[in-house]
Amino acid sequence: MPKKTAKKPAITAKTVAKPPAGKKAAAKKAAAKKPPVAKKAARPTLAQRADKHTLYQTSVQSPAVDIEFFEGEFAKMRGRKPLRMREDFCGTALLSTVWCQSDPKRTALGVDLDAATLAWGRAHNLERAGTDVARRVKLAQADVRETRFAKVDLTLAMNFSYCVFHTRDALASYFNAAYQGLVRDGVFVLEVYGGTESMSVMTEERPVRGNVTYIWEQEKFNTIDHHTLCHISWRFKDDSVLERAFTYDWRLWTLPELRELLLAAGFRDVKFYFERVDGDEGDEFLTGTGEFIARTEIDNQEAWLAYVVALK
Amino acid sequence: MPRSSASSKSRASARSTLAAQADRHALYERAVQDPEGDVKFFVRTYRKIRGHDPVSMREDFCGTAALCEAWARSSPERTAMGVDLSQDTMNWGLEHHIVPAGREIASRVTLVCEDVREVKRPKVDLTCALNFSYNCFKTRAELLSYFTAVHAGLNRDGVFLLDMLGGTESILEGTTDNDHGDFIYRWEQAKFDAFSHDFQCYIHFLFPDGSKIYRAFSYDWRLWMAPELRDILLEAGFSNVHFYWEKTDAKGEGTGVFYEPDYVENQEIWWTYIAAER
Repeated sequence: MPKKTAKKPAITAKTVAKPPAGKKAAAKKAAAKKPPVAKKAARPTLAQRADKHTLYQTSVQSPAVDIEFFEGEFAKMRGRKPLRMREDFCGTALLSTVWCQSDPKRTALGVDLDAATLAWGRAHNLERAGTDVARRVKLAQADVRETRFAKVDLTLAMNFSYCVFHTRDALASYFNAAYQGLVRDGVFVLEVYGGTESMSVMTEERPVRGNVTYIWEQEKFNTIDHHTLCHISWRFKDDSVLERAFTYDWRLWTLPELRELLLAAGFRDVKFYFERVDGDEGDEFLTGTGEFIARTEIDNQEAWLAYVVALK
Repeated sequence: MPRSSASSKSRASARSTLAAQADRHALYERAVQDPEGDVKFFVRTYRKIRGHDPVSMREDFCGTAALCEAWARSSPERTAMGVDLSQDTMNWGLEHHIVPAGREIASRVTLVCEDVREVKRPKVDLTCALNFSYNCFKTRAELLSYFTAVHAGLNRDGVFLLDMLGGTESILEGTTDNDHGDFIYRWEQAKFDAFSHDFQCYIHFLFPDGSKIYRAFSYDWRLWMAPELRDILLEAGFSNVHFYWEKTDAKGEGTGVFYEPDYVENQEIWWTYIAAER
């Protein structure tokens, strides 16, 4: 995903098409896979030893920050603390785990289609969190459009995963299910990215913890239908690359489209929160502050990150 | 860009300035329209889709009806109907295009002062909405009702042709100048709201003596995106939607030749045609 900071202009505004590290790294990786017989077995590269789920969690997720924001806004709007949370497209269920760690009365339901990723989350996030937390997190290998789950206060769809729905009908049926899955004063939050760069072919790199470079690649953006093909790769200090560890075949939905579909699904009100950025006029980069502010209009920029908050 | 509502409060002060002598409709036509090119594209596209030639054409948001005139002039059996909300602008068109074209051509052109959503008869082979004017419909329901009306007003093998504006710079604020020698055409994107896609634009004309027609034309639009247009056209009943793209030469300049791609990478600014089959 694009990083959780807005910037202007972006580092790679002029970088084109192919990931710079791509070919070289692929060649190296191939070489490493098939070491010449005569040589001693090559030491595995850092990329080969890396765990993509761990990297993902440290590179693009910040569950504690998210939770602080959600509970603050929920309290302002609803006058109470949200306790039951559903994490759609939960993947490794890190957010669900941290949610339950944040308050002993909290419960979470993580929903995802991918059994292997859920299993990874059970082993790495839930088990490590201890039995008290683990028993309050339920994981369901299911389509997020299913409506059989217990109602919750708050449903979260982070990391733009709802973009897997390419048609209005499919997205509408997901929003309908999200609406039905909420209690009477429930709140549904989606994470959205946009800006001029989101509609371009581009690659963006940034350093993340542990001397690793996170690479977000928008390989394709089809102007005609807004389908976008994106990948996440990581490069390590030995120059090895974990190439396209995650691939996303999305339709990039725009804010007015989301608003229209949410209202059609029955939500009473839709709010947009944009990340506040820091920096002086003329600065090359504006830095994301992690602080999100409700806005009713916003000038477009190269890249932005927002939460769409829909109130039942 | 379209004509719709104009604010002409900005007439230059002295009578003698070039701005005071200029006619904003004439400048507009020179700066943004190419009716003969449009007619050629329409006929070629219709023929490709339907296998025969279109005869009747309706121009929505017709303004000065320059395209109606070009259509009627292009072939002796062709008829054109222009629809616009501004009687004044259509009167300008009658005086400058239709009447001077001669009785024979004028007899094949009808101008109707009406909301484009209200006109459903007579049915035509081809309806067009150019210069992005449908962007004046800012809600999905309004745009859908317009597209539904167009669909209802087409013959069974009718085709609806629209143009659209896009690109990474189309969703930003900014100004573009085009120098036409005796005046500069300035396109100003004063505001683009990412939240609603509300899009406030102006056309200004600047003259060599320093005078200008400030905000000769103003547009209060929602900038509709390609997939939104496709979704709404299909919902309105059109059976198939084609997106065209202009071929460029080695220098990246437009060639006037359009093709139908499956995949198009975004550019800074582009405009193109869309055809929707009834």
